Amino acid sequence: MKQACSILVVLVLSFSAISGAEPLPYAVDSTIPQSGGCPLPNRWNLSLSSPLNRRWSTALPTLLSPTILTVSQQNSPAQIAEIQQTISDSFAVWAGVAGTTFNSNSYPGLLAPITQVSAANSCTDDAENNVDGLNTICLNQSSIAFTSGVLAFTRTITANAPGATVGSSAPAGFAGQILDADTLFRNDGQATFATPGALVTPQGQGAYDLESLLIHELGHWLGLDHSAVIRAMMFPFAPPPGQFLGDRPIFTVPDGPLADDDRTGIRAQYPDPNDTLNVGALRGRILPANPFALAIFPAPSSAASVTGIVGAHVVAVDADTGSVIAGTLAGWRCDPANPPTRFDGSFDIERLPLGHNYNLYAEPLVGLALPADFSDALSDLCSTTAAPTCQTPAVNTNFNVRILPTSQ
Amino acid sequence: MQTRKPARFTAIAAVLAAAAASATAAAALLAALFAAALCQATTLERMSLAKMAQTAPLIVRARCLANSTAWDTSEIWTFTSFAIEESWKGAPPAAAAQLTVRLLGGSLGNLTSTVSGVPRFHPGEEVILFLEPTPRGDFSILSWVQGTFRIRRDPRTGEEVAIQDTAAFDTFNPATHRFVSAAVRNLSVEAFSAQVKSALAATPGEKK
Repeated sequence: MKQACSILVVLVLSFSAISGAEPLPYAVDSTIPQSGGCPLPNRWNLSLSSPLNRRWSTALPTLLSPTILTVSQQNSPAQIAEIQQTISDSFAVWAGVAGTTFNSNSYPGLLAPITQVSAANSCTDDAENNVDGLNTICLNQSSIAFTSGVLAFTRTITANAPGATVGSSAPAGFAGQILDADTLFRNDGQATFATPGALVTPQGQGAYDLESLLIHELGHWLGLDHSAVIRAMMFPFAPPPGQFLGDRPIFTVPDGPLADDDRTGIRAQYPDPNDTLNVGALRGRILPANPFALAIFPAPSSAASVTGIVGAHVVAVDADTGSVIAGTLAGWRCDPANPPTRFDGSFDIERLPLGHNYNLYAEPLVGLALPADFSDALSDLCSTTAAPTCQTPAVNTNFNVRILPTSQ
Repeated sequence: MQTRKPARFTAIAAVLAAAAASATAAAALLAALFAAALCQATTLERMSLAKMAQTAPLIVRARCLANSTAWDTSEIWTFTSFAIEESWKGAPPAAAAQLTVRLLGGSLGNLTSTVSGVPRFHPGEEVILFLEPTPRGDFSILSWVQGTFRIRRDPRTGEEVAIQDTAAFDTFNPATHRFVSAAVRNLSVEAFSAQVKSALAATPGEKK
């Protein structure tokens, strides 16, 4: 009976520029300016004079059983060096992606050296003013935000308006500018984390891969939200204890742990104006074959209606290799000259490498990923306070698609 | 000004769905391509329903009343008030009819705090929450999205079903090429309640 209620969809593709009215590529966190308008992607405003400051707290949990497993002896300078190397390698994974302004080879100096602090509560001290504009990784930070089962989390602070500032950060240049990012790992012994070297030891089999978790969390630092591509580092699930995701980074392939979807995501977030390879784009709309099927979705705002499939996962697959190159959460667009967000089924996949053939398909969020995994990305599309207001409609998971063979 | 060149393409995914399994097949294809066995949320430890039920001191069915944001302990928090409809385990202090849940993140003034994995609620929404008290006298949700179950009502039958916010915690088994779902997905609230009661009746530590 469920089949009879499903919606048939049509993908309408366009390759011409849609000036000023594009949906955001990829599932990124976004911010609606305090003064109203369209959602803007959360991103850093990095320059040589204002590089990304990075530090970590060398305070480690002092429990009977080690919480941070390393090859080096516990509580030794070598252990600190080993952990810092893991942190450094994790940053280098993202900084190794070609075609972005975050690339450390193309744009050296945008990442400040990693520094150390000694205080355990350097990320979010419940007794101090901690939204400080200093970006910190803490392995021994207590927070009342932790509940049972929470292993680690990243909290970012973004500006809702130009001029906003926190702590030592310079005033924001635009709404959506990230001003502060902190990552906290659980420190009460309920979970253990291992460096890559320690993960292969017998003790490491019960530990989480510190590097995999860090790379994912640093993706959040950069403004990326979760991806529904299963192999992606930003997929909302980490490898189980004793395992790691993707390949380990090596000197020649520093971004080895990432999937193409991750690479395309950061390229879209921090595009390199000098990049001439990754400049392809696929845009279009996902529409129901029967538009009356959308009548059950309440209007997101006055004088507006839902006119396309909202919340479909649209994926571009390299036709020759079968690799998933990019996926995005589709269903909306916003014209800066005529906000708020309109839910018309639009999608936008940018920063695709030229010279490739792509198969494109859409799928409802009913399988490996669900709407809840993208709740932040979806709820950020509307403001209920800044005019013109709107409310993100429910994700449409009740449709079917079929991929036509390339020969047809 | 950058010149944007269109990507070449061959096939257009399209139209005309005949089989309801197509999307699932596409997801399976993806999984088969990459064959990664994944089962944990990045920030969360996977917990069985039994473990969650035994760990949470308070389990309630509740209706969201309102949200507010405020600075506390130098962080932006979202405070969500709920009207308690049923208590499945424990009782709120002083048998209160309402409780407040605090979760990190939210917008206040010219700043927004974002934390992935934190559930958000809309007024009027009905949920089942596995709760832990905080040192501030309010509550937090055990394992955030994992301890959050949304109640949906089937428009045709009227049946209430519960959907765990982490229902995507499926595990792809490369050996069997099958997905295993350990999360609650479209389970009738009545059946879910029975599972929770069963978990609570079991000896702590017993594998469910």
